[in-house]
Amino acid sequence: MSKVIVHALYDDDDKLRDGARRVRELGYGINEVFSPFPVHGIDKIMGLNRTRISICCFIYGCTGFSLALWMMSYMLIYDWPIDIGGKPNFSIYHNIPSWIPVLFESTVFCAAHGMAITFLLRSWLFPGVSPKNPDPRTTDDHFLMLTTAYSEQDVNALVGAANATGAVEVKQVASNDSHH
Amino acid sequence: MHQDSIIREPLLLGKKTYHQVTEDIARPVEGKANKYWWALFFLAVIAWLWGIGCMAYTVGRGIGTWNLNRTINWGWDITNFVWWIGIGHAGTLISAVLCLFRQRWRLTINRSAEAMTIFAVMCAAIFPVLHMGRPWLAYFVFPLPNQFGSLWANFNSPLLWDVFAISTYFSVSIVFWYLGLIPDFAMIRDRAKTKSRKILYTLFSFGWSGRAKDWQRFEEVTIVLAGICTPLVFSVHSIVSSDFATGVVRGWHSTVYPPYFVAGAIFSGMAMVLTLVIIGRKVLDLEEYITIQHIETMNKVMLTMGSVVGIAYFAEFFQAWYSGDPNESFIYLSWNNAKGVYGWAFWALIICNNLLPQVLWHKKIRRNLYITFILSIVINIGMWFERFDIIVTDLYRDYIPSTWTYYSPSWVEVGIFVGTIGMFFTFFLLFARWFPFIAQAELKTTLKATGDLFHNPPRQPKSTDFVADHGTHAAVENVH
Amino acid sequence: MSQYTFTSKSRYTTFGLMAIGVLALAYGAINHDISGTRFWANILLEGLFFTFIALGASFFMALQYVAQAGWSVVVKRMYEALTTFLPFGLLAIFAVVIASAIGGHANSADIVYKWMQSDATDIAKKVPGVFDEMLVKKHLYLNVPFVIIRTIICASLWVYWVRLLRKRSIESDLTGDFLPLHYKNVKTAGLFIIFFGITEQLMAWDWVMAIDVDWHSTLFGWYLFDDMWLTGVIATILLTLHVRRRGLLKEVNENHMHNLGLWMFSLSVLWGYLWFFQFMFYWYTNIPDEVVYFQARIDHYRLPFWIMFCINLLVPLIVLMTRDTKRNPRYLILIGCIIMVTHWIDAYVWVMPGTLGLTPKFGFYEIGILLGFIGLFLYVVLSNLAKVPVSVKNHPYLEESLHHHL
Repeated sequence: MSKVIVHALYDDDDKLRDGARRVRELGYGINEVFSPFPVHGIDKIMGLNRTRISICCFIYGCTGFSLALWMMSYMLIYDWPIDIGGKPNFSIYHNIPSWIPVLFESTVFCAAHGMAITFLLRSWLFPGVSPKNPDPRTTDDHFLMLTTAYSEQDVNALVGAANATGAVEVKQVASNDSHH
Repeated sequence: MHQDSIIREPLLLGKKTYHQVTEDIARPVEGKANKYWWALFFLAVIAWLWGIGCMAYTVGRGIGTWNLNRTINWGWDITNFVWWIGIGHAGTLISAVLCLFRQRWRLTINRSAEAMTIFAVMCAAIFPVLHMGRPWLAYFVFPLPNQFGSLWANFNSPLLWDVFAISTYFSVSIVFWYLGLIPDFAMIRDRAKTKSRKILYTLFSFGWSGRAKDWQRFEEVTIVLAGICTPLVFSVHSIVSSDFATGVVRGWHSTVYPPYFVAGAIFSGMAMVLTLVIIGRKVLDLEEYITIQHIETMNKVMLTMGSVVGIAYFAEFFQAWYSGDPNESFIYLSWNNAKGVYGWAFWALIICNNLLPQVLWHKKIRRNLYITFILSIVINIGMWFERFDIIVTDLYRDYIPSTWTYYSPSWVEVGIFVGTIGMFFTFFLLFARWFPFIAQAELKTTLKATGDLFHNPPRQPKSTDFVADHGTHAAVENVH
Repeated sequence: MSQYTFTSKSRYTTFGLMAIGVLALAYGAINHDISGTRFWANILLEGLFFTFIALGASFFMALQYVAQAGWSVVVKRMYEALTTFLPFGLLAIFAVVIASAIGGHANSADIVYKWMQSDATDIAKKVPGVFDEMLVKKHLYLNVPFVIIRTIICASLWVYWVRLLRKRSIESDLTGDFLPLHYKNVKTAGLFIIFFGITEQLMAWDWVMAIDVDWHSTLFGWYLFDDMWLTGVIATILLTLHVRRRGLLKEVNENHMHNLGLWMFSLSVLWGYLWFFQFMFYWYTNIPDEVVYFQARIDHYRLPFWIMFCINLLVPLIVLMTRDTKRNPRYLILIGCIIMVTHWIDAYVWVMPGTLGLTPKFGFYEIGILLGFIGLFLYVVLSNLAKVPVSVKNHPYLEESLHHHL
């Protein structure tokens, strides 16, 4: 028997969670879940790793901070030192209080934009990408869970789990692709 | 699973289901604009065009067309700049700070408040650029090599801090706003009936499909951005206040300025949000989403911020006297100013910002739409006067009596201000028609906790209603 | 089983600490190097520090009512217990004010509040070096009877409202009909916050800013306000973790600690923000009568001044940034204790340069008084904590707090 993708469509997030939990208890993996809003705890049930995007954000922030510090000390101390208002700019120590605002803003600028760009690229989101949700109702009020069945027995188990947890529609889609 | 106490009122009325939320929020985008929308839009565009004319005139003739003089060298321009920047702050407060505080009432107003932030910052940026006199040399503010025609920018100047603060604030606000919009655009895309709408919203939604991993990242990004935006919103108005407070002009040089400006900004911004949503909820038929309870909560925030500002006024007024410096006794908050030729501006500030908002202590008034609407406009006028007083009435009595003077704006200055108001409303009206007005995806996550379909308290809760709780309490104790 | 017991072992420890304090007082009173300004300045320092913890806890308690916060119900007995120190701390401050007034009346310069010296405002004599023309202009506000009246009014109303809030809170737990008492408390808390918002500024100026009487800063009241709030929250965290270690307060889990840790984190950042702008504006303009305050501290109290700033801002900023550390009791205790110590150093830097002059003094007397106050504080707080059950049974938001999840 060729591979079959079981599409289980729910109309409630709690039922989806029950369904996902049931599928995991039966020992199957979950390919994907499409939902109109973040369903709390579904990532843990599916066994997804924690996202490391906030670590990226921290690194981008440190980069922004260092860049700004380097920029200001290069421009105002090494390249062209000027005496402004009796405050000579000849050392970082004497300038640092008035550099704090720009240091802070640069840190935030790089952290926020770096993280947003990383998110968009990792999730492959930008103008021109076509959506991958198989059912348009999953951006409205429906929740779709995709699981893979390799045998008749798998199909029965997965469809049974979906029906038992209150799925409103269960479809079997033949697939040759390793991914959905 | 979160449980709301039964003494809390439901935040969403009308027994909404997930699908009903989708329908209600997509309706303005899919429907046609009514004649009120067109009338307002027309008015706003006219005002904007008039403003563009005045801006062109200013650029062509120079800022001599304004009534600034040697003593009062900042007038309506910087007043309007600070006013608009301040208005923007409530948007970030609602979306970022209240997100960190897990305040669920923010969810039906954060989208429009953020849009307001972005448009307000755009309006604000016009003023310093025009005030440069030669806006085509505006690139001088960027850190460009000396060979480019200017010296390196002076990083010790608060005006340059402003450049960094406002560009960061503007761009980060746009990112925060747009990331939240992506799933909502996807919702409109997936139910689009016409081909053009399908293409447009496919483009806008960046191909969002709502996969679990995307949502996981989305939530993390939202909370981290909220964490970043919270100090950012504090820093922006603090840096704007540094334009004044690092100066040696009496009245400007006051250490309380940063928190005081931030509080004032939230005060005026919240007033502007109220002005906009009181109209928006009616016109877009969203009264079950933006309920009287939302209005009341915003009024409470406004009252709190107004009180913080009031205490800061008190400190300013008192310490000007306490310093014992005769020069200080002429600052914008002083008897000498109250009695002087700008006394009318002083009293306008006190009446609009301190006296009239006191009515908000009454619950009935906080829940009255008409009074709230009028008050929100009054507060915006008051906060405009605050900036006018800080700038003009701290400058007009210079150190040499022969330079003492008076200032009233020219028609060009007024025209530019009116133009920015037109621009603001043009953008906001377009936003209300083309973009989902409420962050529906995020709202749906809390529907079960706050919607009255799921959460229905007894009319007058009594202590005995809580009897059931004891059992749960014991159970929880056993679990731990 | 939700009764905290103040064991005899800890009771004797607090007695021991208090005994050290009394010994230090006696030593200070007979030692001529200490008996004047230094004697009272240390009492003021400890009075301020511990009163601010209690005031911060009081404000936090009132805030939970007006903000309709649900999550904090399970730890409410903790901050309520901290508020019980309020009258004792206020008495210590009041004693310093009275002592200065008596000394100043006798025209002694050996007092904490130098402006109270009678020659400082004597226009007839105009004693050089003592007479201060600025003080004459401020006399309408800064005069001994008025300061004493202000202090009495503010302190007694604070104590009255705070005790009322705590009393009703405990009462409502024992009666079945707790909802009316809760609503009453919401109103009282609102009143307290309004009154506190204004009077806190006045007291910050009178008790602390007036030490360096010719210097003023409009931010100062807010700066101290954040300090109170922060130390109050840290004390709540430490007390909660202590009670949990005794096996009580099982319903407090890492979600509640996360929220408290979040408060510690954000108030520390806010503290750094306020400190920085107050410093930066005066540093930037470099006006002589304004920078004198920072000059004294940077030139002569350099070590405590900079160490205090760096630790108070950077340690919580870096360590508490991640979610995991805010949920981990070990980190919370470590960071809480560190910031508590450095905030004490901050208080030391408020008080000492204006009272003792430019040479920092730190010896057995300072340590003795500090230990004595720690003993008194712990005794008052823990014995009051032991009087009522630490777990709340009846509260409209109890259910929310038990299911709090971040």
